[in-house]
Amino acid sequence: MTAIAPRSLTSRRPIYEGTRIPSPIPTVLQTPPDIQATGDVLTVNFGPNHPSTHGVLRLIVDLYGEDVTGVEAVIGYLHTGFEKNMEAKTWWKCVTYPERIDYVSFQNNEYVFVAAVEKLLQLEIPPKATWMRTLLCELNRIHSHLVWLGTSALELGAISMFWYAFREREQILDLFELVTGYRMHTRYFQVGGLAEDIPRGFYPECRRFCDWMPRAIDDYETLLSRNKIWLERTGGLGLLSAEDAIALGQSGPVLRGSGVDWDLRKTQPYLAYHQVDFRVPVYHAGDVYSRYRVHMDEMRESVRIVEQCLDRLEHMDGEPWIADDRKVVLPPRHELHTSMESLIHHFKIVTEGFRVPEGEAYVAIESPRGELGCYVCSDGGPKPWRVKFRAPSFVALEAAATLMKDALIADMIAIVGSLDTVMGEVDR
Amino acid sequence: MALDKPLRAYGLKSERLLMPTKASAFEQEVADLEQKVGLTTLAKAVAWAQTNSMWPDTFGLACCAIEMMSIVGARYDIARFGMEPFRGSPRQADLLIVSGRVAHKMAAPLRQIYDQMLEPKWVIAMGACASSGGMFNNYAVVQSVDKIVPVDIYVPGCPPRPDQLMEGIIRLHEAVKAGVPPAYEIRSVAS
Amino acid sequence: MSELEAVPGYVEERVHVGETTLVVEPGELLDAARYLRDELGFNFLSDVTAVDYLGWGSAGVSGYIGTASGRDLNSPMTQGYQVVPLAKPKRFALNYHLLSISEEPRRLRLQAWLDEGEPVPSVIPVWPTADFHEREAFDLMGIAIEGHPNLRRILLDDDWEGHPLRKDYPLGGEPVRFSGEE
Repeated sequence: MTAIAPRSLTSRRPIYEGTRIPSPIPTVLQTPPDIQATGDVLTVNFGPNHPSTHGVLRLIVDLYGEDVTGVEAVIGYLHTGFEKNMEAKTWWKCVTYPERIDYVSFQNNEYVFVAAVEKLLQLEIPPKATWMRTLLCELNRIHSHLVWLGTSALELGAISMFWYAFREREQILDLFELVTGYRMHTRYFQVGGLAEDIPRGFYPECRRFCDWMPRAIDDYETLLSRNKIWLERTGGLGLLSAEDAIALGQSGPVLRGSGVDWDLRKTQPYLAYHQVDFRVPVYHAGDVYSRYRVHMDEMRESVRIVEQCLDRLEHMDGEPWIADDRKVVLPPRHELHTSMESLIHHFKIVTEGFRVPEGEAYVAIESPRGELGCYVCSDGGPKPWRVKFRAPSFVALEAAATLMKDALIADMIAIVGSLDTVMGEVDR
Repeated sequence: MALDKPLRAYGLKSERLLMPTKASAFEQEVADLEQKVGLTTLAKAVAWAQTNSMWPDTFGLACCAIEMMSIVGARYDIARFGMEPFRGSPRQADLLIVSGRVAHKMAAPLRQIYDQMLEPKWVIAMGACASSGGMFNNYAVVQSVDKIVPVDIYVPGCPPRPDQLMEGIIRLHEAVKAGVPPAYEIRSVAS
Repeated sequence: MSELEAVPGYVEERVHVGETTLVVEPGELLDAARYLRDELGFNFLSDVTAVDYLGWGSAGVSGYIGTASGRDLNSPMTQGYQVVPLAKPKRFALNYHLLSISEEPRRLRLQAWLDEGEPVPSVIPVWPTADFHEREAFDLMGIAIEGHPNLRRILLDDDWEGHPLRKDYPLGGEPVRFSGEE
């Protein structure tokens, strides 16, 4: 039942031999019958409303003393019907929906949907938009890792980390507000480029943030990385080997913490990632601490990427920020006074919506949680026929049962935290 | 509590200003009403104590929960209102901030949590989804949380900024101090 | 990729916007999956997507199609002609998005066409990650998965009736009431 992991991509000896994926159901850990027979197994519900489950996740846990012998994840408490709702809206109006799916890394979600539509339209995106999208996606990555760090550390008892992480998070949200007008759910990416030009004053503010952020990450690492309590609570827990990770469809920090050097930004680059220089952190112990280290190193690399994007963008003043195709993109307002065709196109795009040619496309990007994919099927009309999001957290929860083998109840919180699940994208 | 109608019915006309001047119309009217209606000093003292230590329950559901977490952060510090201990157990909580969209599957746990809270208890519907279903007018989302629990304050926004949520919380405090009863005494759930 | 023709159950393959779609018979899906994983190296299943094509092609698409190439004046898709998309073979399509994590990464879409109620074997023996995805396809779209060890509803209540993502299931919700009207 194991899948094959190519030797060249995983360069150390395996974390454990064989597979720890439970069977017959790969996503449910079941108490062995001999323990069940003792009659001492307590079934506890870590209900949907729990401070430490990162949202509305329900875990039905069998406890034998403090050992976790059975785990089942019950989801669906945040099922919002995004996909059905998007089938009823025009393509332009649909862009507000994906943001709310993974509500912590919202611009990555916007981007993946817009990229799938642009793939079907075969649109050329201007470079300024590409670089700015890269910059915003990386800022979003730092934002997402900060929220993860603050909340995971909070649950394990490192309460002050929450305030430090959220201090930097406020700075990032200020940057988003400066560019897009709103802190979260910015709706700044448009099919064809960006919705508006980049406002003046953004670049020096962003530079100031990039100068400060590495020192802040040093602060976090000082607090946690060699902290005896943190090492005890996260080291050696939640082991996942490379083969099991690939078999379970894991991606992102979970996969890189298990030693597989796989990052879609490097292996199947999109946006401007093939033009920036960054490193992909890979750790080989496959435990919660490795995933923590992957997150911290990724934050540093994201700051470097943001600086490189700024270097390019500062020379791009005055360039177009959205594609020129008037069948898809609204014409500039000043043209509406003089050009009849622009007026007609504006009217058609706003009332009926632009049409996307028939076909289907699947675009996958590297969101902070892993491979975020968007499948779009169009019938040639102004509304999507089917939209499906491949959410990395949905798949990460499948690994929860494998990770909780031989865990104690306190370890369970650390393990679920390290999967970095966001329930909005699990339930969609 | 002394009142059984909303303050509007007693003649309150003006709205509370975001940054009230010393003698704003709202404060003056509330003071007049308190005189007219005759809130006792003890009731006022109890209301003062309740508002200054109203502990919320961790009921973060979706995106609004992230903004609710940022209100606990250092910039929009909610600890200055005595509200930073977000209790995990509803038995220890006074305020339920429903932050996020409520799926039909979550409606039953929401009502259960509300029932487990002890009186007096208040509910803030934070965000567009909790107030009215938001942008999700579909089969999966309950169109407004007031179909499940009686709501005191609705905070609009998608998600509301932390300062908007704080405005909602402060209005709730003002209402409690003025003697407005919690929502379960004056309304039942919507149909 | 003519190497795809050796896949068991091969029906056809298409390439569109740089993506390859391989269509196989639903009955031979498990053999096809094993072959793709073991012989061709697609060791990672990204996603399982079910699509309902009920009502496909009932509305013609007219007017300018929004691509740069769609402005070809000689093509019937422009100048106001009605074009109806080609009909699909059956009502449901089940798409498996595969990826090979290797030195040469490739993506592939494995597609099987199903009628209402036609069963399809579970691919959990090949890719264990299919567990939740197949439960979701069953829950929201009503695809009958055979051999799944835990086929229950995952995102909706256990006693929910119907499969919401099907085209004959209404969107639901409430009519919006405006404050001015009675």
